[in-house]
Amino acid sequence: MRHKIIHEIALSVVAAGGVDNIIRALVEATARGTEARGCALLTVQADGKSLAPRVSCGVAEDRLHEKQILVDEALKQVLKGNSLFVWDVAGDPRVTHKEELQREGIASIVFLPFRDQSRVRGVMRLYFSENKGFGREDLEFLDSIAELGGSILQSAETQERLQRDVEEARRDLARIRDERRHFLSFLSMVTHDLKSPLVAVQGYLKILLRKSAGSLDERMVKGIHRSIERIDGMMELISSLLELSRLESGQVISELKTVSWEEVLGATVEMAHELASPKGITVTTEIRRPLPEVFASDIRLQQLILNLVSNSVRHTPRGGRITIRAHTENDAVAVNVEDVGTGIAPDHLPHVFEEFYKGDPESPEGTGLGLSICKRIVDMHRGTIEAISPVPETGRGTRVSFSIPIGVACSLEDRWMLEGDRVIRVPAMDDTTGTT
Amino acid sequence: MDRKILLADDDPDVVEVVSILLEDEGYEIVTAKDGAEALEKIKLESPDLVILDLLMPRVDGFAVFNMLRDPSYERWSKVPVIILTSVREEVSNRRYELETGQRMDYAAYLEKPADPDLLLETVSSLLAQD
Repeated sequence: MRHKIIHEIALSVVAAGGVDNIIRALVEATARGTEARGCALLTVQADGKSLAPRVSCGVAEDRLHEKQILVDEALKQVLKGNSLFVWDVAGDPRVTHKEELQREGIASIVFLPFRDQSRVRGVMRLYFSENKGFGREDLEFLDSIAELGGSILQSAETQERLQRDVEEARRDLARIRDERRHFLSFLSMVTHDLKSPLVAVQGYLKILLRKSAGSLDERMVKGIHRSIERIDGMMELISSLLELSRLESGQVISELKTVSWEEVLGATVEMAHELASPKGITVTTEIRRPLPEVFASDIRLQQLILNLVSNSVRHTPRGGRITIRAHTENDAVAVNVEDVGTGIAPDHLPHVFEEFYKGDPESPEGTGLGLSICKRIVDMHRGTIEAISPVPETGRGTRVSFSIPIGVACSLEDRWMLEGDRVIRVPAMDDTTGTT
Repeated sequence: MDRKILLADDDPDVVEVVSILLEDEGYEIVTAKDGAEALEKIKLESPDLVILDLLMPRVDGFAVFNMLRDPSYERWSKVPVIILTSVREEVSNRRYELETGQRMDYAAYLEKPADPDLLLETVSSLLAQD
């Protein structure tokens, strides 16, 4: 019980008064209470071989100017947890600076170990001008004071370590933020520079095609058309890579706001029709209203659904059908996009969300990044996503379902980064066009 | 009468491609390789239309656009501007509004790579309006 009470007192007083104030109060109170001439507290250094002065009162300052006090045989006993009494400074062989002490009129010294349950953390020295004698009760009481002091030193150490950790973490965070900013501006510059030559080359090809209508044979015309398409594919790939890095580095945080699911779906369904109608594919919806508002990125949620629709369009034959469903279930909004297309082979299914994974590696269409981007967007909103194929009800096609929680929609890590960084400036060369 | 178009883009190949396209249709083309040159040529040449890239060295397209709303450019404030850039439209709008507090009221916005037919169509319909 005694340990526990002392420990609790130490925790509370350190929290309330600050370490240095409490230690000073303890030293001064002990000196007054014992009618000591002076009192000093020395703390044990990390090497365990020396002591450093921390607080003193009533003794000449120059005694404290010793930066480090080496542990001799006598102090060793104290550091083992035993109190040490030097009743007669003049006659005791263990005392080294006899003359100085006598000059100050010090006749006896008491060394009290400041210990907690595990070890001795400091030594309190009490100086008396007469040959002091303590009764048994006094000694026991001084022992308790020493234990309280030890506990305080322990709490202080913990507190100092915490403070150091906090400062270190703060420095790390600042560095990470800085690196992130550099990385993002580097990224948009690279993207711009990678795309510019492609834009130029494609421009010449398109002009060539216009101006030489009729003078090129059919195979050449087809070749130029293919070149234009391949360049489109390459630009799409560059955009997707940029997109992926952005999602990874948390830049999208600036887009988070209160978003209405109904508005997101409204806008997305309209764009889905535009994607599907050139291939004669019908888009139907089964949306169970009302749908809630969430803290999310509307741009990303739209992009997520449209990526799924565009995949479905790619793998669904002319005249097919794509269905977009949405409803609220268990504090989450569940959305799925289903098609009647070619489906995904069972051995491909577990890998579809991996980067650069393409069901058909030979296929010139698609970058293999669409579904990984979807996965990142879902992750960022703390949701889940899965694909099944064939769809059990129809025996064909693919259904990709995702679920986004209504509560805390963005990840804790993202929120943490959001706090000090609410407005993220859009770098000059940001957001170049062409994302799927 | 030839209609005069100022084309400002720092990529010489984009300038070349767009010039070929527009000259074939009988337009007179004046070019500028950055925003500062574009602002000079607007005063010097008084074009009927400006095709403006946004990311350019020295003075960028945003600044050119903003300058055209300045009283010193009042004579040219009605010249239609087509933005031709690789920056996404909503991103440009957001940035311009953030920096100037105003809406970027361009005549048309085309994202690169732009379709030649779409560019020609946009140019001819804008020039037919005056």
